[in-house]
Amino acid sequence: MLKRLALTAAAVLMWLAAGLPVAASAAEASSVLVIDKALSVNAVSGAPASFADAALPVSLPDDWAETRPRFQGSVWYRASFDRPPGTDARELMAIYIERACSNVEVYLNGQRLFSGGRMSEPVTRNCHYPQLVTLPGALLQDSGNLIEWQVQGHALQRVASRQRAGGMSVLKIGPHALLAPEHASRLFWNVTSVELVSLVLAALGCTMIGLGLLNRRETYFSYFGWLALTWGVLSARLWWRDMPWDTGVTEFLFCSAFAPLVALAVQFLLSYADLRSRWIENALAAQWVLMPATLLLLGPGRLFVAVGVWYPLFALEVAAATVLHLVVTWRRKRQDFWPMAVLLVGVIGIVLYEQGLQQGLIDAPRLPLMQLAVPLLFIGIAGRLLQVFARTLRAAEDGRETLEARVKQVTAEIEQNFAQLAELRVEQVTEKERKRIAGDLHDDLGAKLLTIVHTSESERISTLAREALEEMRLSVRGLTGKPMRLADALADWRAETVLRLGQANIEADWRSPADETEQLLPARGFVQTTRILREAVSNIIKHSGASHCKVRCTISDRQFGLTVQDNGKGIPMELDGKLDRGHGMSSMKHRAKQMQGQCLVESGPGYGTVIRLTLPL
Amino acid sequence: MNNILLLEDLPEIRSWLKVLIKQVFPDSQIHEAARVHDALELVSAVKFQLALCDLGLPDGSGVDVVAALRESQPECQSVVVTIHDDDDHLFPALQAGAFGYLLKEQARELIAEQLKRMSQGEPPLSPSIARRVISHFASQTRPQERPQNMPHVALTDRENEVLLRVAKGFTLPEIGVQLNLSRHTIADYVKQIYRKLNVSSRAEAALEAQRLGLFRR
Repeated sequence: MLKRLALTAAAVLMWLAAGLPVAASAAEASSVLVIDKALSVNAVSGAPASFADAALPVSLPDDWAETRPRFQGSVWYRASFDRPPGTDARELMAIYIERACSNVEVYLNGQRLFSGGRMSEPVTRNCHYPQLVTLPGALLQDSGNLIEWQVQGHALQRVASRQRAGGMSVLKIGPHALLAPEHASRLFWNVTSVELVSLVLAALGCTMIGLGLLNRRETYFSYFGWLALTWGVLSARLWWRDMPWDTGVTEFLFCSAFAPLVALAVQFLLSYADLRSRWIENALAAQWVLMPATLLLLGPGRLFVAVGVWYPLFALEVAAATVLHLVVTWRRKRQDFWPMAVLLVGVIGIVLYEQGLQQGLIDAPRLPLMQLAVPLLFIGIAGRLLQVFARTLRAAEDGRETLEARVKQVTAEIEQNFAQLAELRVEQVTEKERKRIAGDLHDDLGAKLLTIVHTSESERISTLAREALEEMRLSVRGLTGKPMRLADALADWRAETVLRLGQANIEADWRSPADETEQLLPARGFVQTTRILREAVSNIIKHSGASHCKVRCTISDRQFGLTVQDNGKGIPMELDGKLDRGHGMSSMKHRAKQMQGQCLVESGPGYGTVIRLTLPL
Repeated sequence: MNNILLLEDLPEIRSWLKVLIKQVFPDSQIHEAARVHDALELVSAVKFQLALCDLGLPDGSGVDVVAALRESQPECQSVVVTIHDDDDHLFPALQAGAFGYLLKEQARELIAEQLKRMSQGEPPLSPSIARRVISHFASQTRPQERPQNMPHVALTDRENEVLLRVAKGFTLPEIGVQLNLSRHTIADYVKQIYRKLNVSSRAEAALEAQRLGLFRR
């Protein structure tokens, strides 16, 4: 998204760049005088030169590299002109100089009108600055005006770029109102726009460096940040006019700065494709030292030749790194390929175009193309990086959320497992404790009760002790017992009941459901039911005088029923309640109630007794 | 009945049991022991026809004495006399070779009756013990749990039939009527069941020991 915006912005700017000067030139009427011929003389000192002897007629624009090769110093130009037609004396007039490199001073009719800055080293660097000189009306005559100007410039061999080699464009003389917009437009495109773009790029570079510091694993952020910042700083060579040192030093410093710039660019391209090579890193570092060394060795007089070798080499290096980057991206991260390919190929194209320009193969454009377009493409790349970063951040956030959810889930599982373990542990401990209590009861209480059973002289006491012992055993079984299958419980009860009734010569008729049921009876329920049944059978044997006993069992899903019926004499009405204690009826009912069941006793004299026990399952 | 071993740690119970034994077997000689150690010494010195062994003793379990008797004097009938009526206690004793069990708190007459019956070859068998025996043999017949070198002790169909009926709660006389068998025949089946339980349990124990590396082959 950001990338597209940047591209659109770049396209609009280009279009404006192409369109605006044309519009301005169309507005130029015949009232603007174009001076394209002048007399020129090379001057050694700063004093006004004499045009008498060595004056050389030149046509403007005058490229020193062609008209006076290797010349370094100041050149005087002279031309004469009449007041442009269609203008009157009251109109404010001006001279517009599109390019005077490096600096210019203007004289009209012998009077110094304008100075662009220092004319001696360090010379003010006005190569990229257009000049607009207002002509005082008092000095301007209707005809025969003499205009002289002195240009301080450098030989092409001593500068790194053709744009900063000495030279002079045409002069335009006309109404100030007509020339001012053209000057403003040129100033904007040559300087202000570059300043703005560089400022933005430097700011973006700082942001990227910050991001790189926060994400040390993604080194490409740092590389790109430093690359953008360095580029932004290097663009100062276009707009910083008064540097505190000589032109030679300035040119050397700026040229040398390209080595680290290229190193950063190559490193960025490699690291963004997840590549890393010690060999390349070492080579780049060596180049960083080697390039300034060769420049120093060759001296300031061969600077242009030296950079003419170095710059294409740099361009090749960056191009090679770009190809490598794109190949790897095509293989590994296809979705990253197209945006990066468009942006990088754009950069390489512009760099190559600039090389062609510097080698003199292509005419200079009216705009500082590389200084404008490359930063814009860099901004596009930065946008792409930020977009990828934002996406990664989003993905990481999503991943973190997923992870958090997973951690919560696992924690819950662990807690659940722990709770289950704790429960199991409690059960184990309880079971162990039950066994210990059961063992103690048997060994201690059991032994004592047994002694009473067999040593007591009184039959009553030994019977009581025996019953107590029986109770104790049942209680212990209740303590330690596991749930019992109802079918097994019925078998135990049947065997005991039939045996006891048989020993008492009472006919037993036991019927229980034939089919095996898998229902379970808790240990406590088994013990209590055993006691109730045992009590009922004891009553029949001791008190009823019956000859026949019928036992019926019913099992349903939720309920278990047991009916014990005898044909004895029943419980006498008048003794009901008194006899109850002896028969143990209340304890039977109590036990049934403890199990949420009920025990009903039906009896009448001569009708026998029916005990109905129902228990929930 | 010449020599009878009586192993019981409580003096009162021991004297009471002694009276009871004299009553059932008047011309027998009773050798008393209060601890497992003493009983084992007696076993190595005297030949017994009958042994009454308590289970919970100060220096160990009567099951060890039952096992030692089964090993050295197979003709001796071991009977467990215990306060524990649950099969968790009784079954190991039966596996070790006990021929039956008596519950101590029962009335003297009942104990005397049961002792007499056992000595005549009519051991008791409760439903819960029968269930344990059934599940014991069921696990033995599963091929994956019975290696090749283990002697296969299987119950006959009739023995199985008797066991199943006991497990369902029928008494031995009832089963005799149901299967149209005499009281003695049923008793023989029960004796066979006890004997086979002991043999297969011993084989199982030996195999288990081998598996744990207690014996070298």
